[in-house]
Order: sequence, then C-alpha cells, then structure tokens
Amino acid sequence: MLLSLAQKVDASALVHTLRDIAIIGALVNVAHLLALSVFAGALLVVDLRFMGAGLTREPLADVASQARPWLLAGFWALVVTGLVQLALQPVKEYYSDMFNFKMKVMAVAIIFTFIVRPRLARADETRLRIWGKLVGLASMTLWAGVAIPARLIGLVG
Amino acid sequence: MTIKSVFQAIEALPSSTAFRESLNGYPFTLTAHVVSMCLFAGLIIMMDLRLAGFGFQKTPFSELQKRLFPWQMFGLIVSSVTGTVLFYGQPMRYYGKALFWTKMILMVLAGVNAGYFHLTTYRSVGKWDKDPMLLPFGGRMAGYLSLALWAGVIIFGRLTAYNWFTYDGSQ
Repeated sequence: MLLSLAQKVDASALVHTLRDIAIIGALVNVAHLLALSVFAGALLVVDLRFMGAGLTREPLADVASQARPWLLAGFWALVVTGLVQLALQPVKEYYSDMFNFKMKVMAVAIIFTFIVRPRLARADETRLRIWGKLVGLASMTLWAGVAIPARLIGLVG
Repeated sequence: MTIKSVFQAIEALPSSTAFRESLNGYPFTLTAHVVSMCLFAGLIIMMDLRLAGFGFQKTPFSELQKRLFPWQMFGLIVSSVTGTVLFYGQPMRYYGKALFWTKMILMVLAGVNAGYFHLTTYRSVGKWDKDPMLLPFGGRMAGYLSLALWAGVIIFGRLTAYNWFTYDGSQ
C-alpha cells in the first residue's frame, strides 16, 4: 500500500515538474537544515538542563517553557520541508534502509519529546535525580538516531 | 606559489587521496560535520533569539552566554575539524566554488560580529542583563546580524554540494 502510494506520487505531474526545477530541491534541503538547527538548539538547551549542564541556575520548567515555541516551530518546519523532500523522491526513500530506520527512530523520538519529556520537565526537580540525566541522554540519543541516518541517506545504503 | 598550486599539492598528498577514495570516510565525516554544525548553530541561535527579543526573555543574557559557551565551542571544534578534513580530501573541488567561499566569508563576518559585540555592548551587560527592554540597540542588532550570518553559513554550506557558480580549477 505504501509502495503504491509512493509510485503514484512519484508519477504525478506536479512532482515531475518540481523535480525538473533543480533549485526547488536545493531550497527545500536548505530550509530543512535551517529548521533542524532551530529544533536542535531548542532541544539541546532543555536536554542539557535535564543532564545538569547548561542553564543550571534557571528552573527546568522555565527553560523548557521558554524553549517550547522554538522547538515546535523547528519541528513543524522540519515536518513540512521533510514531506516535500519525501514527495520529490518517494520510491527511492521507500527502498532506502537509512530512511526506514530514521522513520522508526523518529516515531519513538516524537513520542518521547512531546509526551514524556514535557511531563518530566514540569515535575519536581529534586525527585528527578538520575532520571533527569537519563531523560536528557535518551532524548539526545534518539534525535542523533534520526539526524545521522537522515544525512547518510543517499550517501550510504 | 599560488593558492591553486597549494590546493593541488594538498590534493596530491597520499593521505588526501586515501580519504577521498575511502568508502565510508567521506559520508561519515560529512555526517559528523552537519550534526555538529547543527549543535553549534542551534545553541548560537537560542542565544541570538534572546538578544533579538524573540525568546528566553526570562533568562539573564549572561547566563545563556556563559552556560552555553562550552557546548557551542564543542560543536564549533567538531565541525571545524570535520570541515577541515572534508576540505583536505578534495581541495580542488572547493577551489573554484563561489558558494563555498561565500560560506567562509560569512563565517569570518559572524566571528567579527561576535567579537565586536563582546568588546562593546557586552561590557555593560550588568545594566541590561536581566531586563531585555534595557538592551542597547547595538546588542539587538548584533543578535539580528548573528542570526542572518549563521543562517547564511548553513544556506551556503548546504548549497556547496551543488555545482552552481563553480569556476576554474574545480573538478
């Protein structure tokens, strides 16, 4: 089902037109990378704080709430530009091991970042102890597991 | 001795050739470069957003600057080392690329902007540290300029992969 959808998108006139204009793909790649930088910054500020580094003089809940608008802005910009990237070569991505791995890790990373982590950021910091460090480490590991295979798509596998 | 001849000499070195021809060296170094660049740029952007008045308004600027600095430097060092290795592997590929040199110029300008800010506006940080409304015009401008310059570095860095605006000497 996913393959047939990918093939339909791949064969569509709109995608053919967009693919023929080389600058479209380049601009989407650039926008995706800019969005990734904003998202990474907002994510890391909070992850570092969870791990007892970075903005340690500020309450964790304050750091997380101040980073949240930029985390969301970066995330949605990543989703939109990522979907355009996917639409430009859906069949190639369907068969890419790196892309499939990235998507699976990303599903876990999204649940962790937008459901689990905010609850812990609002919790009583004194009760987090070692769990805070584990949350920060898990978040960074998960998103590294998204970013690294994402960059390797087209280069390896 | 011209810059071109230096680049050609580097490219002819056995270690440069070995890196260029290695199966995994280039993709993994490029990946480390991009990921560390995002770490560095991301943390710089968070600090610049505070200066520009778009975020982290409750946090004193000096806190952001001092506490994020070691992590920014970590990202900068990793991205600089990996970037140098990428360049070392194929210097003649970059020699004639206007987009690559534009990125380099923007990086220098971003460094000059940061240095100028620290030598001027940041000296009076005690007066405006906790209240963003007291931030001098020069500080706000430094934030806007830094955001624009680092965005330019990312944009031109990514576009370097394409062969647009490539002139004499490149492969």
